[in-house]
Order: sequence, then structure tokens, then C-alpha cells
Amino acid sequence: MEELLTILENLKPGVDFAAQTDLIEDHILDSMSVVMLVGELNDEFDIEITPVDVVPENFKTVDAIYAMIQRLSDD
Amino acid sequence: MAYSSIVYLLPFLGAVLLLYNGMPKKYRWCVLLLASYVFYWLNSPSTLVFLLLATAAVYFAGIFLNKIQDGFELSKKALDKEGKKKLRGVVGWQKKAVCACTFLFVFGLLAFLKYYPFFSENINHFLGLFTEKHMLPQLKLIQPLGISYYTLQAAGYIIDVYRGKYRADKHIGKVALFLSFFPQIVEGPIARFDQTAGQLMEGNRTTYKNLTWGAQLILWGLFKKMVVADRANPFVAEVFGNYTENSGAVLLMGGILFTVQIYMEFSGCMDIVIGSAQLFGVDLPKNFARPFFADSVNDFWRRWHITLGAWLRDYVFYSVSLSKGFGKLSKKAKEKLSPFLGALIPSAAALFCVWFCNGIWHGAGWKYLAYGMYYYLIMLLGMLLEPLFAKTAACVHLNRDSGGFHVVRVLRTCVLVVGGMTLFRAESVGAFGEIMLRIFTDFAPGSIVDGTLLHLGIDGWDFIAIAGGCIVVLIVSMIQEKGYSLRETVAGQNIVLRWAVYFALIFAVVIFGAYGPGYDQVAFIYGQF
Repeated sequence: MEELLTILENLKPGVDFAAQTDLIEDHILDSMSVVMLVGELNDEFDIEITPVDVVPENFKTVDAIYAMIQRLSDD
Repeated sequence: MAYSSIVYLLPFLGAVLLLYNGMPKKYRWCVLLLASYVFYWLNSPSTLVFLLLATAAVYFAGIFLNKIQDGFELSKKALDKEGKKKLRGVVGWQKKAVCACTFLFVFGLLAFLKYYPFFSENINHFLGLFTEKHMLPQLKLIQPLGISYYTLQAAGYIIDVYRGKYRADKHIGKVALFLSFFPQIVEGPIARFDQTAGQLMEGNRTTYKNLTWGAQLILWGLFKKMVVADRANPFVAEVFGNYTENSGAVLLMGGILFTVQIYMEFSGCMDIVIGSAQLFGVDLPKNFARPFFADSVNDFWRRWHITLGAWLRDYVFYSVSLSKGFGKLSKKAKEKLSPFLGALIPSAAALFCVWFCNGIWHGAGWKYLAYGMYYYLIMLLGMLLEPLFAKTAACVHLNRDSGGFHVVRVLRTCVLVVGGMTLFRAESVGAFGEIMLRIFTDFAPGSIVDGTLLHLGIDGWDFIAIAGGCIVVLIVSMIQEKGYSLRETVAGQNIVLRWAVYFALIFAVVIFGAYGPGYDQVAFIYGQF
């Protein structure tokens, strides 16, 4: 979780990610930042996030992103 | 049969509504499918066959994808980990081959019927520089009604099945109705199978709420289309038709009024379309969210033609930017160039594909390609210069979240959008260049107030009706932007106030709408794509 928060804070400095309830609806993560985030997550966690995984439910909150990482790591 | 015509609104929609509700629930989807094919046949009888071919192609491709997947699920049980991996690879290729064949067919139809004249003209022009032999034949092709919309829906369905988002449906009627539903076949919105197909098959009876809410939305769409868009049309046609004879100020007015016209027309059409679907208890996805309140071009495209943007994002942008090739390239660029460029490269490449597709989707012509590239360059520059903007703002202690700066950003976005719309409406890229040159070198502001505007297709009363209509739409949009639902508020009022609002809208359309002698019925611009 710590690594994830560091990646997010480097991507969008100044945002309190842990307190956000909808990163997509609130336009904190747009499609560009999602692509940049996916690149970072793939490298950091050695996973492969595909277009199928890029749905709002998986990027809505920090917890949702973390859950997706764990799910893909298990696969 | 335009969506704003009496023939569509009364006899057609009325008859479908009566038949639909008179039929037993389980057969109501048949009424919608029949009505959709009748609607299509009445509008474009000779091209119905292409819709049927596209429907058959995606239906059978979907079933085939199901079979491949089922075969894999069955076979993998008896395999070890290595065997499963090997089989997954083979199945992946089989599924890719099915998708490729389907795309070749459906996009091939679109490419041939919509783009062949453009390609053949340009290739012949190029070949003509060297030889007069082996020219491509010039064919007069009819563009099937709504092909740009139903092709995207069809492709989206197949990609979703391929990606495993849902299984292909065995019911051919469901797939056929999803692709042909009459309110959305001409101008969208571009729906996803899991958004609308289920609702279309439910066959729910028309409720009082659906009837009144659907009728309200249709009325609101007619107001935008007939009071504002159709009144502005003669002026826009005159200004852009004779751009060499108009001053820069008049041309700028033409660009602004075209922006107003296309917004009122397209969003008005979407209101009629979504309202029509609501009569049958079907909620179509929204296509507009007050785009002129956007504070950046990216934000504008999240609010304008939402379903096209979302389609291109989900099926083009993510497919390209998250592909393995760009993943590797990005990694190398991060190591050898800089982390910023490494992260930027996949987005920039994918964005190019998105705007190339967006441009040519709108039409076969260089100006549409230029239109796509116009937005691509704006967005790319925005991405590249963002670190510089952030540093500059910090240096001069500019609060980028302040209300004042937000207003500046909104106005800047509007200027950029009017520029894009001017290119979109201009005869050609050359004409757009000439218009821009005139705006910057021969502005002549006096031509705005010396009466010139009143001799360009419309008179003072038209301008007053357009301005009045824009103010009403602006007020409604401001209320909606604040998060209030005006429809809920009106619905919560007593019957007198409620009907006073409805009658005001009806009278506004009847009194101020552009129809009758002197006005030709204006075809919806987006219906031509």
C-alpha cells in the first residue's frame, strides 16, 4: 500500500489520495494519468494490467487500485 | 423522416407507442425491432441490407467467440499449468482471428462506402502526376444511414465479448435491436451492449412518468433545434458560403454562431432521441454534459459527444497505450531519456490514434483529418507544457484553483473550441486558412454594428430569438451545473405551474421555431456522418 501511495503522490502531487472517494468522477485520474499509473504499477508490482482491467471500479479509490494489484499478482 | 419532423413525432412515434403497449410484454421487443427496420427502410431503403449484414456478421462472430472460449474452459481441466498456458495462447490467437475477420468486414463496409470516393480521388490525383493510366474508377456510392454509429456499436460488442466483459448473446433479435433501435440509429448515442440491449428486451409498459419525462425531453430538444439552431443556419450558410466577401468580424460571428448551432442541434437531437427511448422505458447513455462550462479542451471532450469519446478511449486509447509494444518502449525511454518522456510516449501515441480516428470518423476529407489533428496538437502541447505551466504559476504565485483563473480557463477553452468548429464548418483547410487570415488581418469591427449582419440570411428578430433561446439554455445549464435537477423540480410543482412550464415551451417552439415559408427543414448535421 505504501508503494502505491508513493506512486500516486508522484503522479499527482498535493492530492490526499487516501481521503478521496471517487478518483475518476472527481477527475483526479483522467485517461492520461491512468495510462501513466498503469505503467508505474506494472513495473513496480510486476503485473500486467490490460485494457479489460481499466474500468472505473478498479481505479475509483486507493483501496480499489490496491485490490486490483493483489488480484493480478495472484493470477 | 427527421427526428424533429411532425411525421416522426406524431404518426410514427404515436403508432409505435400504441402498438408497443398493446402487445403482450414478451413480444414488445418485436414491435421495437419492426419499427426500427420500418424507420430505416423509410429513410434509406437501399442501404438496409448493410445494416442486416453487419448484424449477421457480429452475431455469428460473437457466437463463434463463445464456442472458442467454451472449448478452452472444457479442455483446460485436463491440462497442467504449462499445457493451460500453451492452450491459452492458441485460443488467444483464434479469438484474435475471429475479431480481425469481423472488423475487416464491418469496417471494410464502412471504409468502402464512406471513404472510397475520398481515397480514389486523392490516389488518382497523385497517380496523375506520373501517368494517366491505371486510375481508380470513380464510383458514386450511397452512404448507408447511421453506418458510422452502428459500426462502432457492433465493433464495441465484439471487442467486449473478446475481452470477456460479457458473453455473446444467443438471441439474434436482441443483437439486431441493439444495433438498429430507431431513436439512436441516425445520430447515436453510441451505446454498449450491456447498457441498452437488456432494457430494449424488457418490454416494460409505458408509465406516466416515462411518458411525461420523455415528452419533456423531446420538447426541450425541439426548442434547441428549432428556435436556435435552425434560425442560425441561414446566417452560418451565408457567411461560410461567401467567406471571401466577409470581414474578419463577420467571419468570427459566423464561427461563434456555427458553434452555437451545432451544439443546439446535436444536443437537441440527443434530447429528442433520449426522450423517444424513455417513452419505452429505455435509458440511453447521455451524450452531452454542458460542454461550454469545460475548463480545458480535455474537459470539453469529456462533455461533448461523450459516447464517441468514451468509445475511442476504451477501444483505441487504452488498446494502444497499454499494448505490450508501447509498454516496452516506455520502459526504455524511462531508462534512456527521462521518466517524464517515458510516461508520456504511450499516451502521446495513443492520443494520435484517437484523434486520427475521431477526425476521419466525422467525414472523408482533409479538413476532418485536420480537425482531429487540431485537437491532438492542443492536447499534446498541454501535456508537454504542463510542467512549465505549473512552475510558472508557482513562480508568479498564481493560484490555479481560484475562481478567477477558472473563468479564464473556461473562456480560453471556448476560444479554442470556436477555432475548431470554424475549421469543421469551413469548405476546406484552405478556406479555414483564409478565414483565419481575414480574422487577424481584416477584422473591421464596424461590420458588426453597421447593419451588415442583418443582410446575411436572417433579420433582427431572428437574432433576438437566437439570443433569447441561448439565454434560456444558459440559465438551465447553469442550474444543472450546480447539481440541481430542473426536471425533478418542475415535476414536484403543482399541476398549474407544471403545465405552465410545458405550455411555455410548446408556445416557444410554435411561435419562435424556424419553420414554414422562408425556412427549409434543416437536416441534422451529425446525421450526415
